[in-house]
Formats: sequence, C-alpha cells, structure tokens
Amino acid sequence: MHIDPFRAVASDRLALAGLFILATIVLMAVLAPVLTFFSPDCYTGHIFSRPSLMNPLGTDSLGQDIWSRLLYGARTTLIVAAGVAVISITLSVLVGASAALIGGIYESIWMRIVDAMYSVPPIIVMILVAAYIRPNLLITILMISLLSWPEGARIIRSQVLSLKEREHIYASQTFGAGCMHIFKSHIAPELSPLIMAMTVQDARRAVFMEAGMGFLGVSDPMTISWGKIIHQALDFTYLDVWKWWLLPTGLALSLTLVALCFIGFSLEAAMDPRLVPGPLERSQEQC
Amino acid sequence: MKNDLPGRGLILNYVAALAAIFSLNFALPRLMPGDPLHAIYGDEALVSMTAEMEAHLIKQFALDRTWTDQLAAYLMGLLHGDLGFSYYYKDQVSAVIMGALPWTLLLTLLALAIATVIGVIMGIEAASRRGRLLDRGLTASLMFLSGFPMFFMGILLLLIFGVSLGWAPLFGAITPYSGLEGLDYLKDLCSHLALPVAALVLVLVGDTFLITRSTAISILAESFIMTARAIGCSEFKVKYAHSGRNSLLPVVTETGMRIPHLLIQTLFIEIVFSYPGVGSLLNTALNSRDYPLLQGILLLLTVLVLTVNLFVDLLYSKLDPRVRYAH
Repeated sequence: MHIDPFRAVASDRLALAGLFILATIVLMAVLAPVLTFFSPDCYTGHIFSRPSLMNPLGTDSLGQDIWSRLLYGARTTLIVAAGVAVISITLSVLVGASAALIGGIYESIWMRIVDAMYSVPPIIVMILVAAYIRPNLLITILMISLLSWPEGARIIRSQVLSLKEREHIYASQTFGAGCMHIFKSHIAPELSPLIMAMTVQDARRAVFMEAGMGFLGVSDPMTISWGKIIHQALDFTYLDVWKWWLLPTGLALSLTLVALCFIGFSLEAAMDPRLVPGPLERSQEQC
Repeated sequence: MKNDLPGRGLILNYVAALAAIFSLNFALPRLMPGDPLHAIYGDEALVSMTAEMEAHLIKQFALDRTWTDQLAAYLMGLLHGDLGFSYYYKDQVSAVIMGALPWTLLLTLLALAIATVIGVIMGIEAASRRGRLLDRGLTASLMFLSGFPMFFMGILLLLIFGVSLGWAPLFGAITPYSGLEGLDYLKDLCSHLALPVAALVLVLVGDTFLITRSTAISILAESFIMTARAIGCSEFKVKYAHSGRNSLLPVVTETGMRIPHLLIQTLFIEIVFSYPGVGSLLNTALNSRDYPLLQGILLLLTVLVLTVNLFVDLLYSKLDPRVRYAH
C-alpha cells in the first residue's frame, strides 16, 4: 500500500476546496485580534444592533460583538480539533500497534477494553459527564480524546496485524530485529496514510462533539464556542437577528465540518483502490 | 460449540459497556463537591424538599452508610425498574421517558426508512453513470450535505421554511388544543413531521448513497453483469435486480451500525424543533438540572444503542461467514 496522501489530496478538487476553507478559518482565528474592534466579552453598549461598520455582524442579546465572538469561537473549535486529533491518534497508534505486535494476553486485554468502549457512543458519556462538571477547554479535549481513541486503535491493530505477515518483516526478524525496530522502520511508514485519514476523522468528530456540548449548554460558561452561540441564538428566532447571528455561526461550523469531511473522504478514497479510477477511466474523465 | 463463541464474546462486551455507564451514573453525583443528595436530585428538588423527605431519601440511597451499601441500594433500585423521581415533571422518571419515547422512535424510523430508500436508488443510478455529470454532481452535493451537523441542517430548514416562508409549523408534534380528529389530525401530524424528518434525511442520505455507489460500482464490473447484458436483460433489470440486490448486504449492515448515531442526532433535531421526544426531555433535564431524569434518559439511550449494536453484530456474523472466523 504505497500511497502518497499529499498527492491524493492535491489531485482531488473537493479536498482542495476543503483545505482552502480550513486555511481561511485558521487564518481568521489567528488574526482575530486584528480583524475585530471589540473583545469578544466586552459590552458594546447596544443589544440586538444591526450589522454596521463597527459591528460587522451586529450585537447579540448581551450586547457583545457577534463578529468578534465568531472569530474567537473559531479558536476554540480549532484548538479542540487539533488537540483531540493529536492525543487521540497517539493513543490509537500506541495501543493498536503494541497490541498487534506484542499479542498474547496483553493484546486480548486491550482489545476487550477497546471493544467495550467502542459499543457506547462517546457523546452519551460526554453529555453525562459534562452535565455534572461543565468541563473547560482542556478537560473537554482530554475527555473527547479518551473517548475517541478506541475506534482508531481497532483499525491500526488490524492493519498492523496484516502488515506484520509480510515477507520483509519476516526477513528482518531473521536478522534479529526487535519489535521497536520493526515498528519504526517497516510498519510506521506504511501506516502513515491511514494515520492521516484517521487524524482528520478524529478532528471532525471533536469539532462536532464540542459544538454539540455547547449546543446542549453543558460546556464551560467561560469558553466562547460556536455551539454555545447557536444555543444562545436559537432562543431569538422570532427576531430578525438570526440573519447575522445564528446563520453565520452555523455556517462557519458547518463549513469547518464539511471541509474536514472532504479532506477525510479524499484520503480514505486514496486508500481504497476499488474507488480510484483505473488509468483507462481516468483518461476518460479528463476528456 | 465454536459457533457460540463470538456471540458470547459480544455479549460480554455489552455487559462491560453497560457496567461502565452504571458506574458513571453511580459515581458522578457522589464525587461532586457538596451534598450528594443535592447532586443526585439537582436544583429542582431542593425547592420542594422537606426534612421528612430528605430523611427518607437519605435512607433510600443509603447515603449515611458506606459506599458499598450505597452501591447495593442503587443496584436494587435499578433492578426494581426504579429510575428515580423527576422533580421537574413531578412524576416517575420511567413514566416521563416512556411518554416521550414514541415520538423519538417515530422520527428516527421514518427518517431511516426514507433515507435508505432514496440513498439506495440514487446510489445505483450514480454507479451506473459513473464519472458522468449526474454521478459527480450527486456525489459532491451529498458529501457536502452529509458533512453538515444535523442540528444546523434542522435550524436551516426551520429558518427557511418555518420562519421566513411560514410553510411549516415552528415547534411541537401536533397543534395544541386544536381538537383535530381523523384525517385532519394526520395532516397536522405530518406537517409537524416534515421539517425534522427532512433535516434528518438530508444528512443521512449521503452515507447510504456512498456505500451503495461504491458497492454497486464493484459489482457492475463483475462478469455476471456482462452475462445478464449479453442475454438481453433490460438495463433497469441489470441495475436493480442484478447489481442492486447484491449491493444490499453492506447497505443493510452499515445502516444498522448507524442507528445509534442517528438516534443521537434525532435528539439534537428534536431540540431544534421542540419536538416532544426524548431529545427535548434531555434539553429540559439539562437546563433545569433534573439529574434523575438526565441519568434515566442516558441510561435508556445506552441500553437502546447496545441492544441495536448487539443485534446488528449478531446479524452481521450470521450473514457474512468471514466475520465469524475473524473473532
């Protein structure tokens, strides 16, 4: 399975569109202080004001600048996405690969844990715990990561199991290679496209979960999150404010998810040779 | 004997998962700072709490004894089917949930059925026109839609068709106090169902479409399809009877596996449309910090999800012998 994930993404128009959207949102989040006139928590003096030069998206029910909250909300979303993706994929690879390579009781214990965790939807546990402790950003990231690694571990394990049956692994074993060496120089490189696809998947789920918690109103009241803005704005659909309050926030969230979705799809499609058009079909498509 | 093993292993997983949720339910309120009774019953209860009731509840939960006694009391309560008392609704939690569950099931099953039928038909059509405009258009637009968070899709439909155009009712499952009967009642019910179901279908249909399409593509390349065409089968028959029927197995199992996900999404959609199902109940429980109700809902959801998963797993290993050997 020699796949170049970068080429797969670069040759897919949808994935490129996804990358572009994501890059725009990252840029907006990074430049948030430059692009806004008000700090997201500051009271501007007017509630429910219409969009104007100072408040590009007007103000909300607490008189806060919506544009500013939108940009700072992007930071929360991106931090959660990145944090969860890194922690979750690390756990997945550590558990999945070590279980496959070491085997025996070690493997069965881990796989029991993975299977049991896999059967409960993470969001149920998330809601339950969040309802009691209203987690802040760091705890949210840790919680989502702890709940989402088992799926990846399962996939990594089965991949490593099939990889370690290859001839060149046996060959290196006859030369006395240990587990660590085999993993580092023979298995990890083969796993990298899979790991990339799963990282995107984890990030997408994290964005959704964080927004979902905000939407249900069980996240930390101090964090600015798109989900929470939507939760807040949904109470005022009878006023005109939804046009510049609810709609842009929801669209920003949806675009982020769609962007991650496109990138993920293209990475997954690249790994499934059945879905990649053969040379003949590809030339037809280009006509 | 060997055939029983995967089934037993599966059931063991589900028992472990259920035990994990039980222990979370048990431990969370008791680990919270402050009075555990307050954490178990939430803010709503404190208002109507009398000293007598407090003493009774402390005795019921064995809060004045060791944690093993508390655990025993908790498990005994569950075994009696006692999920606690909702102080917000002034009723048994189980009764409150059972009143809302039919609405949720109605939404979920209706959306699932519609999305599956549409997804399969579009998937087969797209597969037989692979690479052409219709195929690429459908794939791109459905991928776009399936990336949407469902609750925002609901909000979008609500804003467009409910708030701006005024074509559909904004909340609820039936018009309150309308006293409609017969056909009018059904019409009212359907007009309230239309938007939530549409929102669910729009997001769901993409996955079914993509699975059907990719399966049908690989099946259309098989030689029996060429044979069917050679003996003069109509294109319709080739598409639906030959390739369509054979691509159903992955669709069925995949659909089964997505039911838990759908159930959760339905809860969010219900909150958007104030649909009187379990989702709205969850929202109320969260907002009023009615913890017994919250725990009851999440427990019920877990049991539902685990049952569906177990069923699908068992069905899957029956349908596809390769899965049986993998365990």
